[in-house]
Amino acid sequence: MASDKISVSGFRHFFPTEDGPVQATGTIDLAIREGEFVTLVGPSGCGKTTLLKAIAGFIAPSEGTILCDGKPVKGPGRERGVVFQELAILPWRTVRRNIAHGLEIAGASKAVRESTVARLVDLMGLAGFEDRYPHELSGGMRQRVAVARTWAADPEIILMDEPFAAVDAMTRLTLQEELGRLCATTGKTVFFITHSVDEAVFLADRVLVMTKRPGTIKAVLEVPRHGSGGRDWDSFTADPEMRNISEQVMHLVHAERGAR
Amino acid sequence: MMAARAFRELRILIPFAAAIALWWGIKDGIGVSNTLLASPAQVWTAFVYLATHGVLAEYAATSLQMIGVAAAISFALGVPLGFAVGTNRYAARALEGTLRFLQGISGIAWLPLAILWCGFTHTTTLIVVIYTLIVPIVFNTMTGVRAIPENYVLALRSLGASRLRIVVDVYFPGALPSIVVGLRLGMGYGWRALIAAEMLVRQGGLGDLIFGARTFNQIDRIMVGMIAIGILYIVVDRLLVQPIESMTLARWGVLRR
Ligand SMILES: Nc1ncnc2c1ncn2[C@@H]1O[C@H](COP(=O)(O)OP(=O)(O)O)[C@@H](O)[C@H]1O
Ligand SMILES: [Mg+2]
Repeated sequence: MASDKISVSGFRHFFPTEDGPVQATGTIDLAIREGEFVTLVGPSGCGKTTLLKAIAGFIAPSEGTILCDGKPVKGPGRERGVVFQELAILPWRTVRRNIAHGLEIAGASKAVRESTVARLVDLMGLAGFEDRYPHELSGGMRQRVAVARTWAADPEIILMDEPFAAVDAMTRLTLQEELGRLCATTGKTVFFITHSVDEAVFLADRVLVMTKRPGTIKAVLEVPRHGSGGRDWDSFTADPEMRNISEQVMHLVHAERGAR
Repeated sequence: MMAARAFRELRILIPFAAAIALWWGIKDGIGVSNTLLASPAQVWTAFVYLATHGVLAEYAATSLQMIGVAAAISFALGVPLGFAVGTNRYAARALEGTLRFLQGISGIAWLPLAILWCGFTHTTTLIVVIYTLIVPIVFNTMTGVRAIPENYVLALRSLGASRLRIVVDVYFPGALPSIVVGLRLGMGYGWRALIAAEMLVRQGGLGDLIFGARTFNQIDRIMVGMIAIGILYIVVDRLLVQPIESMTLARWGVLRR
């Protein structure tokens, strides 16, 4: 399995609390190939964030192993970028300095930083807001900045934890299309968590569905791509094959809601 | 408009004027003896004497220097200590009780020990004042750091940031408004502790001035010293600490959300 970018085997996690350990996930196995866009849907509290944090290297798994490029994950690293749902970019930095933060840490030259910021600001529709502070932006724009910051650091893998959940519905559609396009052009490996079925199918090469807490992966669905480049919502909703997959995922997710 | 503004500025002086009038009334109206209370005129004369002979300036300079040095040392030690405690959940929990316990032992209560250790020296005074100042700084730095969303730190770690980098880019700016509040509180407590320590240590400073004047029953000088203590505190707070606080709160407070 040399081509697996990320490989999780026998993962299970417990959080220590004052009332003893709390089980956050069931046993999870998964592999993500290089350049693949994998989405994970599941009811809230099933352990999605826990799994992502383990892959990111923020928490050490209670059980099992996580490999990145065949090597065990020992902590966070620059090859694994993370985008959170909210409260990610720094409020005391301008858009420009937030986006360039990873490059600044890596010691990139001013010229490199500026050209990267210019490119991403353009790509993410943030032109004209370079010198604004996050509190002067809408929630959707803040998430664009968070995405741009992660992209600017050029990681091979991008881990996203419900990055558009706090964004209004209209903006979300645009952001999803933009993200799809961005990934198709840059060939990143993406692991994307969501609780929205449509979002999961729309973005994915492969959708993983989790059971309720403590979550395990109960189903894996391939979502075929026709042609290169990202999808767009108009053709996505018109495509019966996509509708069919969405319905399957919907049923799988609803079964978890009904089960107790 | 101008007049209204000028009136607003002057308004803060009205209670002072009233207090002086009352003081004068009690002194002359009831005829309180000079061994108990000096009149405003006598205090003014003493003030002019102490000011023109450079006495007041010298004692005041000592106090200001001490509070300045104590504030700088407390800041330099207290902020890193607050970071260390605030970023470590176990240390924070363990130290919270200790900090509260220490808050209960006022700086002045340390004077007997400090005098035994360091004698009647500036070092003794500094120990007391730094102790008083540093507790609110550590406490507020810790609180400020703990209020920083974890995601700020996690995101930076996956951008490859070192621990030092996270302190500089996240903990310091994130906790700054809180740190400055701690500094301001500390300055208030520290100034009072300083005057008290100076009265016992007797190595200069306004506390020394008023305590020395007591030996010769120089009530007018005691009162000059007390008024100077109050005014200097207002000056330090209004002209130095408060502007820093409102600047950081206005700017970083808004930026926090
Ligand atoms: N730091 C923690 N301490 C204790 N329990 C936690 C902690 N983080 C998460 N949990 C628990 O673990 C379970 C999974 O959480 P999480 O991974 O955040 O779920 P999801 O992201 O799918 O909503 C939840 O029941 C949650 O309450
Ligand atoms: Mg979550």
